[in-house]
This record gives sequence, structure tokens and C-alpha cells, in this order.
Amino acid sequence: MTLVLEATGLAKHFGGTPALADAAIRVRQGTVHALLGGNGSGKSTLIKCLAGVHTADAGSVSIRGEQLAAADLTPRRAHATGLRFVHQDLGLFDGLTIAENFALDDRFPTNRVGGIRWRALHDRVADLLTRYGIGAGPSTPVGALRPATKTLVAIARALQDQDGNEFILLLDEPTASLPDAESRALMRALRQRADAGQTIVLVSHRLPEVLSVADDFTVFRDGRVAASLVSDDPSEDELVQLITGRAPVSQLTPGVRSRGRVVLEVRGLVSGPLDDLDLSVSEGEIVGIAGLLGSGRSTLLSSIFGAKRPVRGTVTLEGADITGQPIRVTMQRGVALVPESRLRDAAFASMSLRENASAAVLRRYFAGWMRYRTERTDTRDLMQRFGVKAQSSEAQLSTLSGGNQQKLVLARWLRRNPRLLLLDEPTQGVDAGARADIHRTIRSYVAEGCAVLVASSDFTELAQLCDRVAVLQRGRVAVSVTGDDLTADRLTELVQKENVIA
Amino acid sequence: MTATTSASRAAAARRSPSQRVNVLHAAERYALVGLVLAVAVFFSTWPDSAATFPTAANLRILAANQAVTVLLALAVLLPLVAGHFDFSVGAVAASSSVVCAGLMQNHGTPLTLAILAALGTGMAVGLANGVAVAYLQMNAFVSTLAVATLLGGFIQWYTAGQAISNNIAPSLVAFGSGTWAGVPRPIVVVAFVALLAWYFLNHTPYGRALYAVGENDRAAKLVGIPTRGYTLLSFVGAGTTASIAGIVLTARTAGATADNGTTMLFPALAAVFLGATAIRPGRFNVWGTVFGVTLVALSVSGLTLAGAADWVEPVFNGGALAVAVGLSSYLRRRALGGGA
Repeated sequence: MTLVLEATGLAKHFGGTPALADAAIRVRQGTVHALLGGNGSGKSTLIKCLAGVHTADAGSVSIRGEQLAAADLTPRRAHATGLRFVHQDLGLFDGLTIAENFALDDRFPTNRVGGIRWRALHDRVADLLTRYGIGAGPSTPVGALRPATKTLVAIARALQDQDGNEFILLLDEPTASLPDAESRALMRALRQRADAGQTIVLVSHRLPEVLSVADDFTVFRDGRVAASLVSDDPSEDELVQLITGRAPVSQLTPGVRSRGRVVLEVRGLVSGPLDDLDLSVSEGEIVGIAGLLGSGRSTLLSSIFGAKRPVRGTVTLEGADITGQPIRVTMQRGVALVPESRLRDAAFASMSLRENASAAVLRRYFAGWMRYRTERTDTRDLMQRFGVKAQSSEAQLSTLSGGNQQKLVLARWLRRNPRLLLLDEPTQGVDAGARADIHRTIRSYVAEGCAVLVASSDFTELAQLCDRVAVLQRGRVAVSVTGDDLTADRLTELVQKENVIA
Repeated sequence: MTATTSASRAAAARRSPSQRVNVLHAAERYALVGLVLAVAVFFSTWPDSAATFPTAANLRILAANQAVTVLLALAVLLPLVAGHFDFSVGAVAASSSVVCAGLMQNHGTPLTLAILAALGTGMAVGLANGVAVAYLQMNAFVSTLAVATLLGGFIQWYTAGQAISNNIAPSLVAFGSGTWAGVPRPIVVVAFVALLAWYFLNHTPYGRALYAVGENDRAAKLVGIPTRGYTLLSFVGAGTTASIAGIVLTARTAGATADNGTTMLFPALAAVFLGATAIRPGRFNVWGTVFGVTLVALSVSGLTLAGAADWVEPVFNGGALAVAVGLSSYLRRRALGGGA
């Protein structure tokens, strides 16, 4: 098959640090090409160089037969050569209709006096939507679409001006914020597009989904190409090893631990989608929560933490009733919550690591004045303990990679030595190395006797991390899985096939 | 030998970019201070203003005149840290001034009581603003503008457009125009309030939490910060500080006018935004704000002494506000734009 995109000898420095050194990528027509690597490995830099957002220091690029120096790529040039990018945040306007979104990206068809020819626009968009198998009309507001469909709309919009399949689609972490079922649906759609001849470059952290869809792989590590596999079918472990440069760590299957004292007891909880839910978590136990989107995973955690007041039922922590107590009280009693969306619910992006790390323990540093020096020393200790890589404790949180940010948020809570740790999607948008680190940290804390409740749409993660997983259905725990039964496949099956259980 | 040289050269190469960054950071932090000094030096040497500008008398008058602006700027600063505008501080200062002077003129109220009533006015309006924004979830921009307009109406009604200047306690007037050890007395009050604001914002968990609320309200709530209560308090602080500004205004002018205070608001706002470009670039802060007022005041005074027309002052204030907003949002954007 012909190469449609080839980049060789790409180099890029930021200040004194090389972000890319002699990087190369070869993309074949009509394939899904996975671009893998940890945070800071250089894959984002490569994408940004191709998009013309960053100017490469050296290297040459050949796009659909057109040869040019990598440094000559500008956003306009990249667009003209047929590169189309869809970024993680999609860039769609939720309040506008699909047709309006399409037209804003391209242009509104107008009549002689400059009025919009809505009929023509809607016809064209409706045609595109059918071609992409999107089951929504041109006048549907984008905000009403499910996440996978939204991504497809963004893809169709990016490719709206191609005649055949001549453009190259580059997707930057399209599934980072999608629940599992949604990202599977998206992967199926991508596979179909590729089979129809579309060339797709995919950046993703989620290895199982990448494996399910990609033909070729380019793995980056420390700004260099660690491996490039053509038409290959590697195992997940092999990929992890290529990405991290070391053997996978979280393979230890958790054995069934001896149950300690009950830490959390939830009885008859009614809150949001939850209807009469019972659950208990003991000392030294990691319990997972699996369920479809909207099954109430996050609601359960926020109802325990006090961020949401339950309608009925009781929540007991080590014998004390904490039902409906405010966050201040549950925190004092030893509950901690690492929320699902780091950006929206946990990060103080333009504040320093120090300020982020001590946000939940401010009073500790107050002695008539704020003890800044102690705060700095403590933050540096935390950064070391939790493996947060950053220039200094005064660096802004937003300058860190996703994985490092997440480690810091975890550190913020674990320094309080919580009795009950609530984790909502603890490794979403985090690279494989950081994910392993985070899992290790959680395990070591549990070994010291705290209890953990993890909600995740990533079943591989649940299977690796948890002693027991409760599957939510119709607002209650439909079934609990432990031991040998606890595998990603089994969880997928249980969550999907509701009828099997009912 | 060669190994050491290359190693040390490599070390130097590693160090130099970060050192350059540090120098740049320092330059950025103190750029405003430098600008203040440069303006001062300029008007001290420029022939048109050199005769009067650098004299102790001029600087004293200048400082005393700016006392109200600094206090108003500090009032604006508090809720702004939590992410909310308070456009009512100018009107609150004007109302407090009217309450203070009106009680003395029309009711023969003793000075202490009149001052307490003025402070009470500011606190009450601040409380109302706080409840509206923090608990009723009203848009601060619009609701405080409404309050400002409302207060302007009350001032009109109470004063019937007349200035209040009879029976003002002589001790208050003496305070407004007198000095302690060469320092205008209002400036001592300003210094006290600024130190207090600095202490609260930089050296208490409350201040830190308030910055967190301004940065990300949802995240602040999820680390146990009582975001509503703290936001409410910041408005009460703004109202109280504004009423102190109103009392100082009464002392400076030996009375109160029927002015609604809007003209006082904008120089204060400009100062706060200018302040966010210095000391802690990208963040609203006390000392930056003080330097912001100083810069605007020195520039306007110098231009006036050099014979510039009346329209120069509002043009300068407006220009400074626009530049300040542009610069501070640029700094903030850049701060957020890091990372690979």
C-alpha cells in the first residue's frame, strides 16, 4: 500500500530540552495508525509540528506525494495538503445545530443578497451524516448528542470538503473523556471508515481500544521512536513495555484478602439514578464500581462524600452516621474524593503545585500567618513520594502533564491519611507509566488499612486494581465479582448484558 | 581535563536558560515598580513640571488625594480575588460619606456615631451584595451595578443635589488635612487597611481559599472550602473598606457632595488590573494594586502640572484600564498555556 504521510528526521527543542529527536512516522493509505507514548514522550509535539502549531527545528515531510521541509508547515499549509485534525475538546458548539457547526467550520452557503441558503446547507449536511452513519438530523443541537456521536460529528465536519478519501485524519486522544461503551462505538466507526479507505492517525492512551482498531503502531519514548510496527498485532503487555521501557507492573492479581473491620456501610441509598443501593467496604479492601454511563457511579461517590445529598438511605463510616453531612464534616471523619474531571473539579490550573497540594490542609500551615517554608518543604516531599515530575513546587499546575497532575491531586488527598478513599476514574487521560504508578500508590495505601472505592469505566483497570467489583444496574448492586471471575471481559459482559442478570 | 570542561560547559548550558527565565520573571514582577520610578524621575526633570512635581508639598497632597482611590481599589480587590466584580464600591463610598456628613449636619450626631453609621452602611450593602451573589447566584456584574444605581438615587433624594458641609466635626477635618510625622494622616489609614488586606489574602487560610474559589469554584467546594460563605465575606469586606474610603473622603473634603461615586470607581478598577501585572503577575494582589494607583496618580499629577488639559485625566485612566486588562489577561493566558 502507498504511503500517504511520511515524516523523517523530525527534531524540536523547547528551550534546552529536546522534545523530539530524529522522529519518524510512516502512514499507509487506508489504515488506522496508532501513535503511542507516555505523557511527554513527544507524540503531542509531533502532532503539533504536523499541524504547524509548532515549527520543527529539522526534518522533512511528505504528504500525499508533496515533499516539504517540516519547518515550512503552517496551519494553512497543513490544511492545504489535506491534513485534518480533531482535538480532544472537539471544538463543537453545543448550543448550535449540527448544520450550523458544519457551516461555521467551512462557510455558510449564501444567495445573491448574502442570506443563508439553509435548505442547501441542510441537504449537504444530511447527506454527510448518512455517509458517516450518524443517526441524527442536521437540525439536531450538538449538545443533545451522545459523546461518541459528537466525536463522529467533529470527524465528519473536519473531512466535509474531501471528495473521496484523500485527506488524512489525525485524532488527538478522541476517547480520553469518553466512557468505555462510547469509545468502543467510536472505534467501530473508525474501523469502518478505514475499511472504506480513510487514512486515520490515532493518538490514545487506552491500549485495548487502540489494539482493537489499529493496523500500524509508532511508539514514542523520550522524544524518539521506540518502535514502529507495521501490520502487526502486538499484545497489550508488549505495548506497555515499549511505551514505558520496562516490564508491566500491575500484573499482580489481587488475592482475596482477609476482611478487616467494615469502614463504609451504605444502606438503602436513594440518590439520582441510585435506588435502594446497599454496599459495604472493609479495611484494606479495594472495591470497584462498574456500570454503564448514567448508572450512578459518580452519584454514589458524591453522595458518600457529601457533595450530593441523598434522598433516602444511610451512609455509615466506621459506625458513625454521616448521611447527608457536608463535605467539611465527611473530610474530618476521613473521607477523601478524587473527582472524575480533574480540570473541572480538582485543578486550580494557574496556581502553584504547592497551593494545589495544600488546598485540603490549609489550616495546618496557619500559625498566625501562613508558614510558606514548611509548605514548600512538604510539597517537595510529596512530589518525591508520589513521583510528580516538575521543575519546582512553585511551578503552575497547568504546566504539568495529565499524569503528573493526577498524581498531585491524589497526593493532595492521601496526605490527609483518609480512612475511606473515593476514586472516580482515577486514571482517565493518564499515560501507561503514570497509571501504573497511581495503581501502585493506591495499593500501598490500602495495605496500611484504609478502604478504597473506585468508580471506573475502564474494566481492565477495575480488574487489575480491585479485590471486588460491584456492578450497578437499575440503581442497585446487581452482582459482585471477586477472585478468578474478576476479569475485564467478565465485567464487560455483566455490564452490557443486563438481561443475563435480571 | 577535557571531560571536566565539557561537563561544566554542559552544566552551564543547562543552567543558562533557566537563569534567563528567572531574570525575565523578576523583570516582569517589578516592571510596574520600575515604571512608577521612571514616571517620577521623568516629571521631576521635565522643565514644565520640575519646579513643583518633586516637592514634598506636592507629593503630600498627591498621596492624600489618592488615599480614597487606594482604599476603593482594595475594596474592589477582595471580591475580585474570588472572581466577582463589585461595581458598587464607588457608590458605597459616596453613600457612606453622605451618611457620615448628613448625620453631623442634620442631626448633630457625634463624630464617633456618625463614623460607625457610615461603616454600618458599607457593611450592610456589602452583605446584601454578598447574599445576592453567593446565595442567590445573581451575576455580580449586573447586581452590583444595580446596587450602585440604587444608591446613587438615594444620594440624590437625601441631598436634593446639595452639598453637605455644615457642622462637620473639626477633628475629622483636621484628620483629613493633617500629618503625622510628615505623613498625611489618611495615608496612615490606607497603610493600615492595605496591611490588613495583605495579611488576610496572603497569610491566612481564608485568603488562600478565596484565591482558590476565584480560580475554580467547583474544585474549591470539593476540597471542603465553604465557597458561599467566603464569597459573601469578601463582599462584606469590600463594602466595609469602601465605607472607610467614604469617611476619608468626608474628612478630605470637609463634607459630602451629591455625587454618586461612579467617577471614583474607574481609577480604582484600573489600579487593581494594573496591579495584577506585577508582584504576583497574573494574580490580583495588594501591593501590585498600591503600585497601580501610584502609577496612575503620578502620571496624571505630572501631566496636570505640566499644563495638560482637564480631559487628559479621564483619557489616561481609560487608557491605563484598557492596557492593564489586556496585559493581565495576557499573563493569565500565558500562565495557563504551558505544558506539552
